Amino acid sequence: MNILTCEGVSKVYGSGDNRVVALAGIDLKVDRGEFVAITGASGSGKSTLLHILGSVDKPTGGRVTVEGTDLSELNQTRAAIFRRRKVGLVYQFYNLIPTLTVRKNILMPLTLDKKKPNEAYFEEVVKTLGLSERLEALPNQLSGGQQQRVAIARSLIYRPALLLADEPTGNLDQKNSGEIMDMLKLSNRNMKQTIVLITHDEKIALEADRIITIEDGRIVGDERRR
Amino acid sequence: MWREYSSGYLKNNRSAAVSVMTAAFISSLLLSLLSCQFYNMWKYEVERLRAEGDQYALMAMYLVRDANDEAPRLVFPLFLLIMGLASFSLIVIIHNAFAVSMQARIHQFGILSSIGATPRQIRTCLLQEAAYLCAAPILLGTLLGIAGSMGLLALLEMLAQEIEGRRASVFGYHPLILLCTLLITAITIGISAWIPARKLSVMTPLEAIKNTRELEPRRKCNSPLLSLIFGVEGELAGNALRVQRKALRTASVSLLLSMTAFALMQCFFTLSEISTRETYFEKYQDAWDIMVTVKDTGIGSFGEAEKLRQIPGVDDVIVYQKAQAKSLLSEENLSGEMRANGGFFHDSGKYVERDGEFFRVSAPIVVMDDASFLAYCEAIGALQRTDGAVIRNLICDVTNPDFRHPQYMPYIKEAGTTRLVARTGGVAAEMSVSDCAETAEIPVIAYTEEVPVLREEYATIDKYELVHFVPASLWREIERRTGGAEEDTFIRILCREGVSLEELDTIQGEIEKNLAGAYTTESENRIREYETNDEKIQGMLLVLGTFCVLLALIGLGNVFSNALGFVRQRKREFARYLSVGMTPGELRKMFCIEAFALVARPMLWAAVVAVLAVGAMLKASYMNPAEFLAEAPFVPIGAFVLSVGGTVALAYYLSWRRMRGMDLAEVLRDDTMM
Repeated sequence: MNILTCEGVSKVYGSGDNRVVALAGIDLKVDRGEFVAITGASGSGKSTLLHILGSVDKPTGGRVTVEGTDLSELNQTRAAIFRRRKVGLVYQFYNLIPTLTVRKNILMPLTLDKKKPNEAYFEEVVKTLGLSERLEALPNQLSGGQQQRVAIARSLIYRPALLLADEPTGNLDQKNSGEIMDMLKLSNRNMKQTIVLITHDEKIALEADRIITIEDGRIVGDERRR
Repeated sequence: MWREYSSGYLKNNRSAAVSVMTAAFISSLLLSLLSCQFYNMWKYEVERLRAEGDQYALMAMYLVRDANDEAPRLVFPLFLLIMGLASFSLIVIIHNAFAVSMQARIHQFGILSSIGATPRQIRTCLLQEAAYLCAAPILLGTLLGIAGSMGLLALLEMLAQEIEGRRASVFGYHPLILLCTLLITAITIGISAWIPARKLSVMTPLEAIKNTRELEPRRKCNSPLLSLIFGVEGELAGNALRVQRKALRTASVSLLLSMTAFALMQCFFTLSEISTRETYFEKYQDAWDIMVTVKDTGIGSFGEAEKLRQIPGVDDVIVYQKAQAKSLLSEENLSGEMRANGGFFHDSGKYVERDGEFFRVSAPIVVMDDASFLAYCEAIGALQRTDGAVIRNLICDVTNPDFRHPQYMPYIKEAGTTRLVARTGGVAAEMSVSDCAETAEIPVIAYTEEVPVLREEYATIDKYELVHFVPASLWREIERRTGGAEEDTFIRILCREGVSLEELDTIQGEIEKNLAGAYTTESENRIREYETNDEKIQGMLLVLGTFCVLLALIGLGNVFSNALGFVRQRKREFARYLSVGMTPGELRKMFCIEAFALVARPMLWAAVVAVLAVGAMLKASYMNPAEFLAEAPFVPIGAFVLSVGGTVALAYYLSWRRMRGMDLAEVLRDDTMM
């Protein structure tokens, strides 16, 4: 069953001589529980695609549907609520809120919705990600790997339809990169979490069930590995 | 290279310069105002001394001192002290405005430092930028300071013109003062810019590129109150303010100081106004309309009372002179209540002199023209005679410190005569009571609690005063023995009820015309005095209020620069909020809470200080809090706070408008924002 559908998605920046086509007619379907890696060279359009999937950016043309919601129809407020509830975003530079503790960072999407967390699920997430001991620390008191785990925990706390990760290991050493990938795989297998991962690292991409390659804003490869 | 770098930055980041330019403008305005005021103070003193021919003091004003002259000359030391304090305060307040503008480019300086820029080069670049930004505001501020000083002097001159014997002050300026002012301003602003420039220039390239000092909190931030009231947006707003604490220090300090100063000033003047009105204007509302002081004239030499009574519009005229004598009292003379209250036991000897079995107490004598005295006797139901005195037989309970609500009791037992002796220096004063052959023993017509309708206060400082009212004809007989007459004679004039200012002015003019030539007089009328007093208070409020506004402007400049600049600096922070699903509406709420907290915090502190200060003032003045509350200056304080709040809200609204246009995807892509 498709959780994500892209139909002819395009994104163009600028106009005239400065016109840059970042995405040129992307058609893509992702099933629930799939772990998809999108690879491509720098500037190929993979981050633009991820931002569109996360409703952070809007396509110039085409249609993106996540769990039946057409993202192009969302205004700013509804897009924000969509991000809060349906999408977990993980970035290379973590994007944690530096003034909040690890616990509050993780619970942020729920807090914005004025919802109380499911304590058992919260415990499960933080335990799985090895954060139980650091819940009262501030982000700048953690290592890069730990910060990325907090970002993953935050993206999972709302049990989103889609976890979008943009080069989540790009800022980490090999050991931490391996750990983060293990966490993502674990959440994919144990929690049936749909994951779309963006990376330019082939080794990382090989960890996914499916590898989509983008070049000049077009999908040039779609390989199902499992 | 540096010149191009700086001009490029300044061209594209005008908002960052606003705070610096505002700080420079206000600093130069204040310093120029102070220098100009002091120069004119000095000039006034020189002109006064020249007119008085005091050559030694005049030389001292030019810093030429006679070795034997030990008299303190305060103008210059005071000027140096106040200028020093003003410069120091300004440095403390405004250096942060420079710091904010400089901090915004830490990352860039980190890059420059990493490619070999020396700390000296960075520092020089920053100081040159500061000089470039501040040159025009300094000149403008200095010129406006001179204009402000001119206006202030004119205002003070207007307020002080009533003061007797005062020379008129004419505004003046000297090129040297301009040079000194510019020098002091340049030093003040230079130090303010140098402090953050130095800090920034010595940062390591790594520190600067990461810019960790500014962006992340060192300790856990807690904003329980904002969090409780406004939820997660409140917590984030509180935390953001805490992280920006350094950047907003100028705003916090100056808003706190200006609000506190404004609230205290308003409360103080309101209290003082109520007190003056109650203890003076309302108390003497019906006691006088016009007062004339006839200089160097005894009551016996003044014979125009009848003429004055004939002036149209004049209802009542009392001519009186005051004298000071002593009254001799023994323990037996005191009333039962007075004795029960301890008699003279509570006096430390300051007001009551013991002389054997007698006590000498002050006996102010009010000598009234015979006609008025007889009318007074009639009014109090006493025999209409001119051969004796009427004694105010009242003393307040000296053990009760509440001067606003005194409790009175009869002072002495009623007797047929009273004994008066000279106050000091006279023959009678030096003799013991038994030897007092020159004592004036005069009959007492009546003991009373009612005093004649005069603009006089009795027994306010010396509570043991025994006031005597005597007719002028009796005074002629006893004057030689008691002495102590004051030099001037007073005329108290009452007009019809509800008389207007114009009528009073006309009658006052008529009286002056009648007395001109024969006497040297000074006169005042009640309504004009009330208005002049009101104008004086308004003038002082205006001057002090202007200082409060200037102080607030420094803070508001900082808020504007910070709010308009932080869109650039805090893009990443806002992007984070948006990326985890905060809606634009929630972000707007966070903006509103930040602006609210920025104003509410100094407002609350100012309110606490004002409440404590007013409490202390009410206690010291024994004023009923309800009286103060009925006239408390809620409106001007509210208007001031609302103006400050409105300006802060405007700054945040403008930054919100800029923020709305932010491209979230672009910010999240931009790794240099880290």
